[in-house]
Amino acid sequence: MTLLEVRDLRAGYGKVDVLFGVSLTASKGELIGIVGPNGAGKSTLFGAIVGTVGLRSGSVFLDGEDISGKRPEDIVRRGLSLVPEGRQIFSGLSVIENLTLGLTGRRDKHGEKGALDRVHDLFPVLTTHRDHQAGMLSGGQQQQLAIARALVADPRVLLLDEPSLGLSPTVVKDVFDRLIAIAQSGTAVVIVEQRAHLVTRLAEQTHVLRAGKVQATLTKEDAADEAKLTAAYFGNSGE
Amino acid sequence: MIQAILDAVSLGGVYALAALGLGLVFGVMRLVNFAHAELITVASYTLVMTHQFPLVVSMVLSVVVASLMALLMELLAYRRLRGSNPATMLIVSFGVSVLLQKIYELVFGALPRSASVATGLTGTFTVGGVSITTASVVTIVLAVVILLAMGYLIERTKLGLQLRAAASDFQTARLLGVRSNRLIASAFVISGALAAVVAFVNVVGNPQVDPRFGLDITILALVGIVVGGMNSLRGSALGGFIVGAVLSLLNVILGNGRVYAYSWMFVIVIVILLVRPGGILSKFATKERV
Ligand SMILES: Nc1ncnc2c1ncn2[C@@H]1O[C@H](COP(=O)(O)OP(=O)(O)OP(=O)(O)O)[C@@H](O)[C@H]1O
Ligand SMILES: [Mg+2]
Repeated sequence: MTLLEVRDLRAGYGKVDVLFGVSLTASKGELIGIVGPNGAGKSTLFGAIVGTVGLRSGSVFLDGEDISGKRPEDIVRRGLSLVPEGRQIFSGLSVIENLTLGLTGRRDKHGEKGALDRVHDLFPVLTTHRDHQAGMLSGGQQQQLAIARALVADPRVLLLDEPSLGLSPTVVKDVFDRLIAIAQSGTAVVIVEQRAHLVTRLAEQTHVLRAGKVQATLTKEDAADEAKLTAAYFGNSGE
Repeated sequence: MIQAILDAVSLGGVYALAALGLGLVFGVMRLVNFAHAELITVASYTLVMTHQFPLVVSMVLSVVVASLMALLMELLAYRRLRGSNPATMLIVSFGVSVLLQKIYELVFGALPRSASVATGLTGTFTVGGVSITTASVVTIVLAVVILLAMGYLIERTKLGLQLRAAASDFQTARLLGVRSNRLIASAFVISGALAAVVAFVNVVGNPQVDPRFGLDITILALVGIVVGGMNSLRGSALGGFIVGAVLSLLNVILGNGRVYAYSWMFVIVIVILLVRPGGILSKFATKERV
């Protein structure tokens, strides 16, 4: 069942175009990767999907409903959450206040308690640091908070922009294990990663974005093939 | 002596409320709403024009009118400016301020309108041989109650949490589902209601309302939020309090030299800002830029 469908998306800032027709889909329970060099337009793509970057053309469907051009606060209510680049937790607020803000985007207000319990099970560190100021958490803990804050809205589609940024390898493994579990529980998970190998091994499909276009799409099997990945990443020459 | 302290605390309290109203709107929009003055003014006119009504009715009306006016400002003038640079927004708010002053002049005339409002509060009473004005005590009680209520709203409620989150990062707050239009409108409505409280206290003290009635207090409250720290509501309120209290004390201390009260107050303000450029409660050390 396709939960997220992006069709021929063009977007940019002011007069500058950044995306030149990007298409992708993500289904229930699926994990999709997006990799590509700095400035490829990965964050812009996420921004265009969640409504913070203006669309030039193309459309975004969430579970069949056209959400193109809707406002971010309305999109999250329909079940699409973004864990933004650089986490963007509210460092001056406590951990529980950050999570409570995440509840704002829920459609179903009855399940709030259950949603909080679930993320506390998934990320126990957030329970022990419940009343601490979020800015005092370590980088890995902050990343967990950022993911948890998106999860309490019970998204059907979860977008994560470079969740591994600044984390040590063991913490990265930890975070990715949780993301796999989240996908298996039925959420469509789309991950942007600078470090391609982190996601290519896990994702059903990994799209290589370069200069605002999907240059190649790799399956898990393709990704094992180092040469293929490199070729996709750097263009046809393969270097 | 005791009266001087009470006066200082009560004026400080009033300025704290005015600064809080400005700080709320600044927090969510990065807008220094100069036209806050005209919210105070319209609430004051409302009190004067309805002085024949029971006091409570008159007060409620002034809160409603000021809140509606704040809402209209947001809808008609500021909504389009969201995300513009702060200088643009400040200039527009000057424009709104002047425009409203002219409208008040057309409607109410340039000369002061006066009527005794809440005459019960103009007297004095004696405690242990010291004569105290009722107005100062009532003002202090009112300011404390409202400040506590605001503290509760901001620290303990969902709306308050959203206001704090939006003040630090509105874009991320929206990503989490915070409805921007609704939240900004709420901030304006609350700032309008606070303006009405400030108006009430001021009208009791000086029932001569003219089109520029709210200007002085707004300018001083702006000084207050800079002194206290624009990025924190607590700082704004504290700064407002300091400015009001210092001004009131200076008036007493300087005696005949009180024409220089403003000058001395600004000397104090400048010294505070030299020591703490981001304001007293600024959370972030100001980065070296030169
Ligand atoms: N707010 C903005 N205003 C103008 N241009 C922007 C803005 N944000 C990004 N860009 C431009 O859009 C292009 C794509 O940026 P984007 O952030 O989407 O890249 P990215 O793939 O996420 O890169 P990275 O891996 O470094 O995060 C870049 O050329 C960048 O300069
Ligand atoms: Mg990016």
